[in-house]
Amino acid sequence: MSTSDADGFMGQPVVEIRGLSKRFGQVVALDGLDLTLPRAAVGLLGANGAGKTTLLRILLGLTNATAGTASVLGLDTRSQGVKIREHVGYMPESDVLPTSTTAADFVGHMAEMSGLPARAARQRAADVLYQVGLDEERYRLIKGLSTGMKQRVKLAQAIVHDPGLVCLDEPTNGMDPQGRDDMLDLIKRIHRMLGISLIVSSHILEDIERVCDYVVILSEGRLMLAQPIEGVGTEHGDLLVRIDGDVDAFIHRLAGVGVYAARGASAELTARDELVIRYDGDHVYDAVRDAAADLGVALRSLRKPMQSLEDIYIGEVERPVEAGRTDGGS
Amino acid sequence: MAAPDPAMGEPAAYGEVYDRGYKHYEGERLGRPQALRALTRYSISRSLGIRKRWTAKIVPIILYTVAAGTVLVVIGVEAFLARVTDEVLMSYADFFGFIFVIEGIFVATIAPEMLCPDRRQDVLTLYFSRPITRLDYVLAKLTAAAILTLTLSFVPAALLWLFRNLLADAPLVALADNAGDLARIALAGGLISLYLGAIGLAISSFTGRKVIAVPVIVVGYLVTEGLVNTIAYALGENRIADWITFLSPATISNNLAYSLFPPQTGIDGIPFPWWAYAAGMALTIIIACAVMIWRYVPED
Repeated sequence: MSTSDADGFMGQPVVEIRGLSKRFGQVVALDGLDLTLPRAAVGLLGANGAGKTTLLRILLGLTNATAGTASVLGLDTRSQGVKIREHVGYMPESDVLPTSTTAADFVGHMAEMSGLPARAARQRAADVLYQVGLDEERYRLIKGLSTGMKQRVKLAQAIVHDPGLVCLDEPTNGMDPQGRDDMLDLIKRIHRMLGISLIVSSHILEDIERVCDYVVILSEGRLMLAQPIEGVGTEHGDLLVRIDGDVDAFIHRLAGVGVYAARGASAELTARDELVIRYDGDHVYDAVRDAAADLGVALRSLRKPMQSLEDIYIGEVERPVEAGRTDGGS
Repeated sequence: MAAPDPAMGEPAAYGEVYDRGYKHYEGERLGRPQALRALTRYSISRSLGIRKRWTAKIVPIILYTVAAGTVLVVIGVEAFLARVTDEVLMSYADFFGFIFVIEGIFVATIAPEMLCPDRRQDVLTLYFSRPITRLDYVLAKLTAAAILTLTLSFVPAALLWLFRNLLADAPLVALADNAGDLARIALAGGLISLYLGAIGLAISSFTGRKVIAVPVIVVGYLVTEGLVNTIAYALGENRIADWITFLSPATISNNLAYSLFPPQTGIDGIPFPWWAYAAGMALTIIIACAVMIWRYVPED
């Protein structure tokens, strides 16, 4: 029986967090998080010290929250940590591999450590090392492997027991550009082809954009954003319209049908001659079309301003850090 | 060509290429007990140098050879002398005294090997992401160390007992008559193995470097033995001096063995009954376990 089917996880959110806080003495690492993560590749974004690693450790049942509750695959992190770790894989950020053993031996051992019988563990280790591209190298000592290969071994031990969820902490850390590309492709494949849910913790925006379909942004232990990446930047407020013709008449005409419009008030987002039209439903598009037709003005462009993930990330994460407000918690 | 699915069980033609695509695991999951067994087994095999370079196997092979060789030599000589005398070449207590030296070196080798690389290379992070608790980790390491030291403290002495009785005129009668000796061998062997294993692990838990842990354990045995003997000698015939010998691993192990197998002649009386030494060793084991728990269990 697969992990997903075994314990009735299918259909439930992967992670549910309510009012989660974690303090280390006076330092607040996580501050009242409320969060529900779907079965997806979830990117956990935040600057160093934002609380990402602390959150992962709580989700794995390795440390208890100061307040609040969290469940992973329907299991409570406080009381069912051991059971959670049977069904969750973890790839830590740091260098954690023993040097004087082969990749096959170690990954097989970690499969047994996850509860698989010895024979199945050896078979799974061989299969998974093949999947991560280490078929030939699996009998080499780990100390003889390159940084990229070691990262693959870490990934292999995280998925060898066929977990329902894999937590990857800074998976491209210390890798060269080619190795990073390969690792991101592998991670994407794990989710999209193997169907394993992921939480990818990173401070590198591009990594998250490439492999994830849901994003969570943390800053100073607080939740800044949690939504599908596809939705980021598509819905951001008002319509921006450029016309050739009498602008004042156009604004007046729209006002006559209850649609508010003004000359480019939001300077950051509009071109110099763009009108900002308050968007409160699709009827606004009809009003704009009708006004242009009635007044005989040319409609040169009509768009919604896009706020990218990068805009949000910079706005929510980097500004507070630049201002020197760090929690130093995780 | 489309690759066949091996799971379908269709006969494969020669040279056919299988698709090794990822498959979800459908088999049984044995959970925490399996994780504990795996960690214990892995710790034992790594400590013995199995699946490691040949140099890692040298010390265990030498020590096992010396232990087995001693049993064979004793049995061989006793078999030869049996025609002229009934006396044994080496009593069980003497044998435990001799084997203690080998065990001491053995523990100094295996205990750091079990703990230090896990801490130094941060493998602990991966272990604790598996379905075990931190206390499970400590218990698995203690079990592994006890099993390994038992192979030196109990197995050779038990073989000595077996061969010695098989050499008797009526082997089956001798085996039955001397069954009590085997029980005492098991008690002494079991206690000494747990005692040495726990001390070795407790010391090793303080460092991630084997090059520090190994000499600290070896020198620790020598220093405590020397110190205890010096203090006991200075105090002279004194009850306090008898109590101080509890602090020396070598002396307490020897005294346990000699109190379980009292010598016929030639050695002064053992100041306390066997259970007092057993209690002293048990207390040390508990303290050593507490030290390990203190070193590994706190989470934040």
